[in-house]
Amino acid sequence: MSKEVGTENRPDNTAFTQQRLPAWQPMLSAGIVIPGFVLIGLAFIGIGVALFVTSRNIQVLERDYTGVERDSFCYGCSDLKVKNCKCNLNFTLDKLFEGPVFFYYGLSNYFQNYRQYGNSKDANQLSGDKEYFTEPDESCAPYERVGDVPIAPCGALPNSMFNDTFKLYQMVNGTRVEVPFDGKGISWWTDYNIKYRNPPGTPLSKAFEGTTNPPFWPRPAYELDTTDPSNNGFINQDFLVWMRRAALPDFRKLYRRITEGEYAKGLPAGKYTLVIGYNYPVRAFNGKKKVVFSNVSWMGGKNKFLGIAYLVIGSMCVVMSIVMLIVYAKFKFPDEE
Amino acid sequence: MDKLQHRKQVSKLIYDRTPMDLAELAVAEAVRMKPLPGNRTATCVTAEGWADASKLTWEVRANSRQHYRRCRKRSFLCFRWGRCADNAVRSYKYSPLTFLPLTLFEQFHRVANIYFLLMVVMQSVPAISSLRWYTTAIPLILVLMVRGLKDLASDLARRKSDSQINSQSCDVLDSQRFCTVMWKDLCVGDVVRVHKNQIIPADLLLLCSSEHYSLCYVETADIDGETNLKYRQALSITHNELTSEPSEKGLADFDGVAFCEEPNHRLYTFRGYLRWRGEDHVLNNEHILLRGTVLRNTEFAYGLAVYAGADSKILRNCGKLRVKLTHVDRLLNKVVIGIFVFVLLLSFFMAIGHGVFESQVARDAPALSALTPNGDFIYSAFLTFWSYVIVLSPLIPMALYITFDVVHVVHSLFINWDVEMRWEKNDSPARARNTSLNEQLGQVGHLLSDKTGTLTQNHLLFRQCCIAGRIYGDASISVEETQQMDLSWNPFASGQLFMSAPELVQQLKARRCPFSKEFFTALALCHTVMPERSKEGIAYKASSPDEEALVGAARDLGWVFHSRTRDNLTVLELGVTREYRVLAHLEFTSQRRRMSVLVREPGGGLKLYCKGADMVILERLLSGCPCLEDTERALESFAQACLRTLCVAVRGVPEELWEGWSKILTQAETMATSERDSTLETLYEDMECDLLTVLNTKAMLCTHMQLLGATAIEDRLQEGVPETIEMLRKAGLKIWVLTGDKTETAVNIGYFSKLLDPDTSLLEGQELREILHSADPGYSVSKARQADAWCVNKEMVWAKTALVISGPELAEFDKEPGIGAKLMGLAAQCQSVLCCRVTPGQKADIVQLIRKHSSSITLAIGDGANDVNMIKTAHIGVGIAGVEGGQAVQNADFSLAQFRFLQRLLLVHGRWSYRRISFFLLYFIHKTCNFALVNIWFSFFNGFSAQSMYENWFIAMYTAMYTSFPIQLFALFEQDVSAEGSLRCPELYKVGPRHQLFNPLTIAAMLAQTLFTSLVFFFIPYGVFHDSPLDYQTMAVTVSMAAIFCVDAEIVLLTRYWTLFNAIFLCISFSFFFSVTRLTQQPRLFLLAPDDYFFVGVSEKAFADPLVWLTALLAGWTAALPALIAFTVNIIISGPDKHRVHTISTPQLTEFRSKVKRIDSGRRSPRATSRTAGKGDVITSGTARHRGEPLLEDKLTADNGAIDLKMMPRDRRLPPLPPREPKPCEARV
Repeated sequence: MSKEVGTENRPDNTAFTQQRLPAWQPMLSAGIVIPGFVLIGLAFIGIGVALFVTSRNIQVLERDYTGVERDSFCYGCSDLKVKNCKCNLNFTLDKLFEGPVFFYYGLSNYFQNYRQYGNSKDANQLSGDKEYFTEPDESCAPYERVGDVPIAPCGALPNSMFNDTFKLYQMVNGTRVEVPFDGKGISWWTDYNIKYRNPPGTPLSKAFEGTTNPPFWPRPAYELDTTDPSNNGFINQDFLVWMRRAALPDFRKLYRRITEGEYAKGLPAGKYTLVIGYNYPVRAFNGKKKVVFSNVSWMGGKNKFLGIAYLVIGSMCVVMSIVMLIVYAKFKFPDEE
Repeated sequence: MDKLQHRKQVSKLIYDRTPMDLAELAVAEAVRMKPLPGNRTATCVTAEGWADASKLTWEVRANSRQHYRRCRKRSFLCFRWGRCADNAVRSYKYSPLTFLPLTLFEQFHRVANIYFLLMVVMQSVPAISSLRWYTTAIPLILVLMVRGLKDLASDLARRKSDSQINSQSCDVLDSQRFCTVMWKDLCVGDVVRVHKNQIIPADLLLLCSSEHYSLCYVETADIDGETNLKYRQALSITHNELTSEPSEKGLADFDGVAFCEEPNHRLYTFRGYLRWRGEDHVLNNEHILLRGTVLRNTEFAYGLAVYAGADSKILRNCGKLRVKLTHVDRLLNKVVIGIFVFVLLLSFFMAIGHGVFESQVARDAPALSALTPNGDFIYSAFLTFWSYVIVLSPLIPMALYITFDVVHVVHSLFINWDVEMRWEKNDSPARARNTSLNEQLGQVGHLLSDKTGTLTQNHLLFRQCCIAGRIYGDASISVEETQQMDLSWNPFASGQLFMSAPELVQQLKARRCPFSKEFFTALALCHTVMPERSKEGIAYKASSPDEEALVGAARDLGWVFHSRTRDNLTVLELGVTREYRVLAHLEFTSQRRRMSVLVREPGGGLKLYCKGADMVILERLLSGCPCLEDTERALESFAQACLRTLCVAVRGVPEELWEGWSKILTQAETMATSERDSTLETLYEDMECDLLTVLNTKAMLCTHMQLLGATAIEDRLQEGVPETIEMLRKAGLKIWVLTGDKTETAVNIGYFSKLLDPDTSLLEGQELREILHSADPGYSVSKARQADAWCVNKEMVWAKTALVISGPELAEFDKEPGIGAKLMGLAAQCQSVLCCRVTPGQKADIVQLIRKHSSSITLAIGDGANDVNMIKTAHIGVGIAGVEGGQAVQNADFSLAQFRFLQRLLLVHGRWSYRRISFFLLYFIHKTCNFALVNIWFSFFNGFSAQSMYENWFIAMYTAMYTSFPIQLFALFEQDVSAEGSLRCPELYKVGPRHQLFNPLTIAAMLAQTLFTSLVFFFIPYGVFHDSPLDYQTMAVTVSMAAIFCVDAEIVLLTRYWTLFNAIFLCISFSFFFSVTRLTQQPRLFLLAPDDYFFVGVSEKAFADPLVWLTALLAGWTAALPALIAFTVNIIISGPDKHRVHTISTPQLTEFRSKVKRIDSGRRSPRATSRTAGKGDVITSGTARHRGEPLLEDKLTADNGAIDLKMMPRDRRLPPLPPREPKPCEARV
């Protein structure tokens, strides 16, 4: 055997090839992990308390107005045959409902997250592309055309737009004073500015020429808000809010904010009447409709769940760490002695 | 031509007969046929070779280059035409044109890829498309790309090596002149000139060479790994005709036609005949120079290219490595199939749910009912089924297989790169030849080891000898301490003789003792070694290390084997040149276990020198042979010192006997040459037996065998073997040693190598048989043993017991049904198992037995051709790249240079791989399933409409970008315990053989965790989003965030070895999620394609919303809670153990090699021996077929021999030695 042996087969002696990369190997022992566990648990409890308190401070006024029950104030309107039905919701505030007050309508058992429903619209059409006004996407079916006339906006989602109307009055000295609703900026900035555009052309009605309104709609898109051109057509705020699909079958959607005049600080104590224009049918599918007044905090509206969940998980961590401590004490201390 | 017909007749005759009467027939035929001079014995021919000569359809016309250029093999796409290949090697698969289609074609062979392609197609069907096409297409394209790039890289490497091979130069005869061309331009039918030390470019038919008789020598190391030289010889007709005149002209005029077999892969056989000048000359393997061998000791050789390029035997012989599936692979496949079935089932249930929803709920909601196509809810449910198959397709971990491949390859590279597994002495690093078995290295339960060359070095040293009953040298003094004798008087002494026997040297120098003279003459003559003379002296090329050691020892002591020609052996006896004419060469076979050479001495006398296994030789001696008792005693002492022994004998042969015998021999050899049947080997064997026994008695003329003495060769244990075995035993491996050796030798080795403890008792022979035949093996033995042991505990009795089984016993047990299971049950309780005197086939059977009766992973390690069976049969085969040929390595999955590297391969690389891969797989499946399962929970709230919970881009990127890097790095770098720690605590290895990390239970636990995680992912956001003004898209982003949080938290918990890469890539993939999400929700992209980027502005709003963060954080945390609890509990319970390992592993390197001083423990010296091991007495003729473990003792022959010997007359030529003089030489000193 020759004494001189080559080294051409010698592998590289680097940290990587020899698997000796410098590394941090955390040396964890019960003394670190159990206190760590407790600390994390405490932190969660802390967040939970903060959330819970915040949530508690939020005032909410919620009223169902589906009108299924006989004694309900909207009972008369729940019959679909009645057109342009109005019903009044009277309520009394004992103390100031702090502002800014957000006014929502809520629907339940309403599957806005149904896939085919959510897809039943034409994104191109809604972004103002005129081509799609004459040739709506197939996904809009069956709300693609009425006869031969294409629908704008086409699809089931726009077609089923919520169309109840609300007006709030405060009873001041026996007279009804309308509380001004602020309908601006209730939709997303990107929806209003990017995602939805009106077709080019003025007046708007001309741009929509050759199309018809969705079958459920009493009037065409360009008449959604005739008073304000920046809130008309596809960029109507109520339309945008509707088009943003809810995550779950029970949801609420922002209808208006109360930010103007003397009500900017909130709704003062007193008697109020909400006049509801009852148009939207929900009884057929056991849906519920409700109105919600709420003020908001840094974490949005009232949300008991999150605070409680944090508290539960946090305390679970603490309990777990106590259990582990016991296990540790029981099994390990005799060993180490 | 008549010869051919004649052969056909013979073939027919022989074909119909039994091998028994073939011998007679062969002799008869041999007499009738005209012998072809210059031909030697045929080597190996398969039985069908006899059958018909019509198979010789491959026709090669010499010097007709143009003809063969025309019929060159070509191919276009799948069309091929042409007959013979050119000499270029094309191992590459792709050309620039075919790369894309071919690689895609190959990749779509994988079911998973087809499945995902189907998904992509389905996604583009609007009716069922619940996700956009790119959610599957992007990961699929990534997977295909990675795989394609991998293929491309390896193909480019192949091209490079191809072109290196193809552009080697060789000399080809072109119209009377040799000109240098590249290998690839060589053609079938070309006459080629090969220079000394050149590699032979194609399979050549040797026409003539520059040496006498047109002999030439080739080294076949590249083909079979054997380092000895083999000779090839041209036909005498071509030799005579072509070397007489100037070679170029003669060769250019040569117009012979060779008819031979179609190209095949049989390296050791060749059939054909050369038709030249109207005569047919039979060709066999001896006339062929194989491509890839190297010409040695020969100035020039001229050959006719018979098979070129892809047709050549070596290229035909390139087998493919079998695909071995590991335990983990199989389980993984089951899991993936399970997931697939689960997806279909879920989709089915969801479709039912959808149908119910449509018919019960949506019917009343005008907004929804209008969407049902034609109001047919069953059709709608049918469509929904497919939609769910699409939505749930991310459950199937598509990227898993490719990532798994990459991880495997890198793990194999780590093995290749490990400097601590490289053997400095011969610069050979460890090699992972099969890159998909890494994790199985961490699960080995049974280690089956060969002994010689694996546990021992197979670097043999001549330590002792016994001449005429007197022992010279002392093996109890270790090699290092042996005093070097003064051999300066001998210019050829190498200084490598580790024997101290000055008295022997004096005797030799004084030439006083005929016994010692004959002894060393025998050593210098009786072998198949080829000498290579260089400036430094003479180097010997031997096929077995034993021969090298013996010839080397003779050289060092003054009997220098100087050169070998075909007929002569030159020996310098103490400086005096003596030429011996070789008359016959009786080759070694494993049955005969001896070889002999019949020479004519310079003085004219005939002598037969024989050496072989002691038993075989002793049987053939006349009873009452002088020194017999002393020699037997010496053999015994050698065996106890664990030395390999051989006996050397000589006999004088009377002329008359030689004359008679040589005739028959010549005839037989001719017969063999022309007919080439393996049955002739038996004939040859009989011939030789005749010589030794039968003829003696019949002729009453010759002398009997005279015992000269015995040699003792030490085969030392490899460095670190005892330590390694001890460590592996601590790691819980059951070690079985399978050897062809005698029981005693094997047991001795067992004690030295710490396979057996000093107080281990052996269970063997009759006792074993009784236990196996009793009804309850465990019970009866403990009862039997209780008598002499106080220990009542059954297990304690067993723990110190080793099973010793011999090959014949195994064969016996084989026949009885049910014994195998009993044997395995017994073996499982014993410390270790020794199987002695087993054949290569039995070795494989034992592996089969273990595989059949236990679920444990078997690893077979060996170094020789006799281990190939075992290596191939075991789950993992490891080859020792050692002194013996490369066949074991060729067939192995891993190759190591030394046995001791096994501890690092298993305990470090194997353990790490198993751990890394187990956690990698669990985590990978977990992370893909938990995020995809959310869709199920969401279904209950969206009317089973196959609405995806996630944005399409998130699905597309999730596995590929957001979560793949950290786990991949984990799978590459993770070390729970350092390499040193792993070696210090071999017990840590036990996790693997018990399948503790990746088994149905851990998978079930993981799936339960996955279920929990997905529930949390959905229901915590549900609590927040329920009855709130937050929209679906915000929820999608929230759940995505929760998934990312959870997955990253879990990898943090999993990783114990934080390199910079881990930390960086964790941060990168974490921030990828946020940046890519923001990017894909850019207004600009939405304007480009509103349908694909409809999540515009969501993340902008969501990432700024504390509620979203708090929700995602809570969900992510809660989902990771089980992992965290498991992690913590693990630390609390097992913490101190791990802690200990860590604290001990100070940065100092553990010395891997043993520094332990070997202490002689009484009679057991720390050496290994194998008297009858595979290579022990292999004195082969140079062909690998003869290698292998000696078969079982042929008792019958031996008995006959003994009887005959008794009747033998006394030697006439050799002066009879005084029978009652035990030490004749000493007496004369």
